Amino acid sequence: MLEVTGLTKYYGELLAVDDVSFRIDEGDFVTLLGPSGCGKTTLLHMIAGLREPTDGQVKLRGDDVTDLAPEDRNIGMAFQSTALFPHMTVRENIAYGLRMHDYDAEERDAQVQEFLELVDLPDHGDHRPDELSGGQQQRVSLARALAYEPDILLLDEPLTGLDRVLREEMREWLMTLQRELGVTSLYVTHDQEDALSMSDKVIVLDDGRKQQAAHPETLYEEPANEFVATFVGKSTTFGGTVTTVDEQPVVETETTRVTITGDHGDSENVSLFVRPEDVDLEPVSATADGGTTVSQTGSTTPTAAATADNAFLGTVEKVSNLGNRTEVTVTLESGETALANTPRFPDITVGDEVTVTFDPESVVVV
Amino acid sequence: MSVVVERSPIPNWLTERISNRHLVAIGIGWVTLFFVFPILFLVVESLNFGDGSLFEAYHRATGGVYVSAFVRSFIYGFVTTVLTLVFAYVLAYYLAFASKRVRLLLTLVVVPLWIAYIIRYFGLMLFFSPTGPLAQVTGLEIDLLFTSTAVVLGLTNAYLPFAVLPIYNSLNAIHHETINASRVLGAGQFRTIREVVLPLSMPGIIAAGVIVFILATGSFLGPAVLGGPNQSMIANEIARTFLEAYNIQLASALAVIYTVLLVAFIAAFNAVFNLQEALGNL
Repeated sequence: MLEVTGLTKYYGELLAVDDVSFRIDEGDFVTLLGPSGCGKTTLLHMIAGLREPTDGQVKLRGDDVTDLAPEDRNIGMAFQSTALFPHMTVRENIAYGLRMHDYDAEERDAQVQEFLELVDLPDHGDHRPDELSGGQQQRVSLARALAYEPDILLLDEPLTGLDRVLREEMREWLMTLQRELGVTSLYVTHDQEDALSMSDKVIVLDDGRKQQAAHPETLYEEPANEFVATFVGKSTTFGGTVTTVDEQPVVETETTRVTITGDHGDSENVSLFVRPEDVDLEPVSATADGGTTVSQTGSTTPTAAATADNAFLGTVEKVSNLGNRTEVTVTLESGETALANTPRFPDITVGDEVTVTFDPESVVVV
Repeated sequence: MSVVVERSPIPNWLTERISNRHLVAIGIGWVTLFFVFPILFLVVESLNFGDGSLFEAYHRATGGVYVSAFVRSFIYGFVTTVLTLVFAYVLAYYLAFASKRVRLLLTLVVVPLWIAYIIRYFGLMLFFSPTGPLAQVTGLEIDLLFTSTAVVLGLTNAYLPFAVLPIYNSLNAIHHETINASRVLGAGQFRTIREVVLPLSMPGIIAAGVIVFILATGSFLGPAVLGGPNQSMIANEIARTFLEAYNIQLASALAVIYTVLLVAFIAAFNAVFNLQEALGNL
């Protein structure tokens, strides 16, 4: 459907997008994820024709559109600012693209009404955009982008300006709408929750370069490099060299040793990532009494400290209640900072001595 | 609602005695004293309380050279306004969307305002003269001086900054993504200007139009320096009647007629464009 090959953009000396290639299949929802300034908006603008690439090619439905003006590409686009025309009514806004695509008046009216209903604003056609709420405006902007049935929908952080609750609601709504219409979509965001929750495929971009393109789950569980591992989700990280002890692969850091699994070749420099949901905490005093573990599932299990694999002593630094769970930050004796998820209101307070444990299976080696 | 201000820069004895009403009164008083009274005084001066008709001066003021001076003023004013708006729009558009040196160029637009009009008009006079730089560079026989063209060009030149600034402001307020949206939605560059940029910059255009029209129609120096006897505008006629013929009654009548006509023009314009809304958005 959309095929981008070797797309590159220089602003003077500055390399904003560096040789990015990817493809999106018909009907897919793909996200371009990256921190601000990573070149994702520039990349999107080049796909839309709003900026000229220094090098590379954009193909839509098999046709090379690299040199076409934006108005000749049959693309739909939603913007962070909504970019609705303030001097037109909602109806006129939605009809704009239809007029430019030579729909006749009758078709136009029917299509506008259909899309007003599709975005749940059937009675708002005669309002001005500034009379609508932020969420409603963004829905009008989507209706406007989709009404003339573009080949692909480009979304430039359309949910960024919205508050958290509305944002989650709009996410659901947008996914349903996209499935319903089956429109191929490319969504640009810096928000990993947006990316992980909505996409068939996520393309992670940093420093103008493609870091990884994968299904959200793969991205989280098998990050291709350090950037992806740190940018997508939080982790406890270690750095060191791979060796073998008792036929078990381990990583020696400067101060400690972490047991891992898999075949990684000796003396290779690697980074280790452990996701907070894979980390268990055990109060040290409780161990002395016979011991219980506060685990991710909330169940109390007999202590596993005896196995000694990947058990580290540390001091609780911070306990953050995140609503549905609690995130505990622990400074390990070896110097690293560990993150663990626990059920709400764990029996742990700042300053407690704890043992941090995790399964070697859960360690991601990059 | 009570707001505790620890130390106000205005002493208490003053804030307790002065309300917003007092402040408004100062403004209204000023305008009444130096604007409304003099105008009313002009109306009184324009009337004939001696022998003959009360409106004798108005009979003279609505005939002969004065009619052509009125007509000429409004025609020059209109043509100047249209020309200025066109030039100013192109310039402001460039400033808002294409220029990388906006500050420098905006300064260059404003700098002429630092120089006295009389000097600028004399500069143009030398520029337009048959042996001036324009003639030398183009090699054409320039016969511009003391023509309507010279006056209108001079006025356009003089009032350009007053039009560039409001238009630039309204263009600058247009969110760039609206223009991008229009392009992606299928409108070419010119269609985007017509359907999006032009309507959204209308408040600036209207403000600029009103300002330039008022200034140009009432011009005195432009026609005095660049025009001949046949380019005389109403301000020149009023000045001549006052200062040379010393006919205060006639001059006052001309001034009253001019003021009424100008207000009528602006009222008509307001009926079409709704100035309050346009200028309120600026």
